[in-house]
Amino acid sequence: MTLLQEDKTLPLLRVMNLSKFYGKTMGCHGINFELGKGEVIGIVGESGSGKSTLLKCIAGRLSTTNGSVFFNSSYGFIDLCRTDEVLLRKIIRSETGFVTQNSVEGLRMTISAGGNIGERLMANGMRHYGQIRKIARHWLETVEIDTKRIDDLPSTFSGGMQQRLQIAANLVTDPRIILMDEPTSGLDVSVQARLIDVLRKLVASLSLSMILVTHDLAVARLLSHRLYVMKDGRIVESGLSDQILDDPREPYTQLLVSSILKP
Amino acid sequence: MDDPILNIISISKDFVFHHQEGTRIEVLDDFSMKFFPGQATILTGPSGSGKSTLLRMIYAGYRIPKGKILVRHQKTLVDMATALPSLIYDIRQHTIGYVSQFLRVLPRVSALDTVIEPLIARRMEPRKAKQRGRQILECLRIPENLWHLSATTFSGGEQQRINLARGFAAPYPILLLDEPTASLDPENRRIVMQLIQDAIQAGSCIIGIFHNKSDQKEIAGRVIDMSQILCRTAEV
Repeated sequence: MTLLQEDKTLPLLRVMNLSKFYGKTMGCHGINFELGKGEVIGIVGESGSGKSTLLKCIAGRLSTTNGSVFFNSSYGFIDLCRTDEVLLRKIIRSETGFVTQNSVEGLRMTISAGGNIGERLMANGMRHYGQIRKIARHWLETVEIDTKRIDDLPSTFSGGMQQRLQIAANLVTDPRIILMDEPTSGLDVSVQARLIDVLRKLVASLSLSMILVTHDLAVARLLSHRLYVMKDGRIVESGLSDQILDDPREPYTQLLVSSILKP
Repeated sequence: MDDPILNIISISKDFVFHHQEGTRIEVLDDFSMKFFPGQATILTGPSGSGKSTLLRMIYAGYRIPKGKILVRHQKTLVDMATALPSLIYDIRQHTIGYVSQFLRVLPRVSALDTVIEPLIARRMEPRKAKQRGRQILECLRIPENLWHLSATTFSGGEQQRINLARGFAAPYPILLLDEPTASLDPENRRIVMQLIQDAIQAGSCIIGIFHNKSDQKEIAGRVIDMSQILCRTAEV
């Protein structure tokens, strides 16, 4: 474990030379970037380009083959790839959030919506039932879910509500960073618009730091300050979102941008 | 004269279209120009002569592969070609405003919230921001019953006025305007011209694309015909 002094001048996240191989197959390779506080980075590219692999490596959900993920946590500037399991669990439970593409993976379908939100609070030591319920209600309101549904099972929620519940369940511990894997994928456009609106408000009001993996360039433009374009497991182009989408330089990025259908 | 607030030094810009037989279009070649506070610059010339490209490069929405664009930002001189993203966000929040030709409308976001977004980003108190937002929407004659609606369903002229309201809600030392009067009726055009005059009087450096001769005359700034000074060639 590498533990340096906590330093406000350090970025929130520094990914250095990160690689992940599944046997001989490359997931992602030679990834380097930094994320500042309050910044939203979008990772775009077609299916199989390594976006989700990269995100899962950063989240500590996949072991890396090479490289480091330094995270400016309350425990110092820690390489999450080399930290011990106990500390990694603590950090994942309270300081990072992960919203999955498939809400079945991100929620417990057999416990209530309030229970899903309260679980992270309880894992961090909160025990007062009334207090947990009050906080859960607040977060349901924030993500625009009717608080009357607090005792309902997430399995009775629509896809868009489940995604918003996942976001609430992640944000409840005030994480330093939130990682999102295709959060709008599979939702119809009006539901998608609501989710994007909720996310935009949260980014603005909470100064959220976020890494957003998406293949939807319109979503990426709306939410991200900067974009990284991935192809075949590597980053091929990066820059401010408008630079990438309005002035793409690389052949692959030009292909991606020119393939968008405009209604 | 004051120091320039914006100093463009020998910038060049080309576009290579890899999927269109590698066509390369050179839009700007070794272009330099200084811009001062309280000065208006009118960019004119036919479509494709590089007017919008120049505005977008100043805003760093297009990359600056060659040359420098020096911006005076809160007493420091920043080169937009090499500035870190965090500094560019800051410059866009406080120093350079940009009104694009078309509003990027968002579903579910009200016209008023769209207009005050730059103020909220500056950490202005929401109540004050809304007050300013209402004032500018009123000035631009957007009916009050539309303020709480998303601009997605607005007409072209209304959307453009929301866009302008957003640009003029907060004062910017440098304001870039891409055909601000293109889709406006005469009365709204007059209001926008007045907002531009007021901004110049207040010391803003205005750089705008205006095709209309009477607009150019009214603003009375220096006129740069981009087709005369820029080299534009296409090669395959």
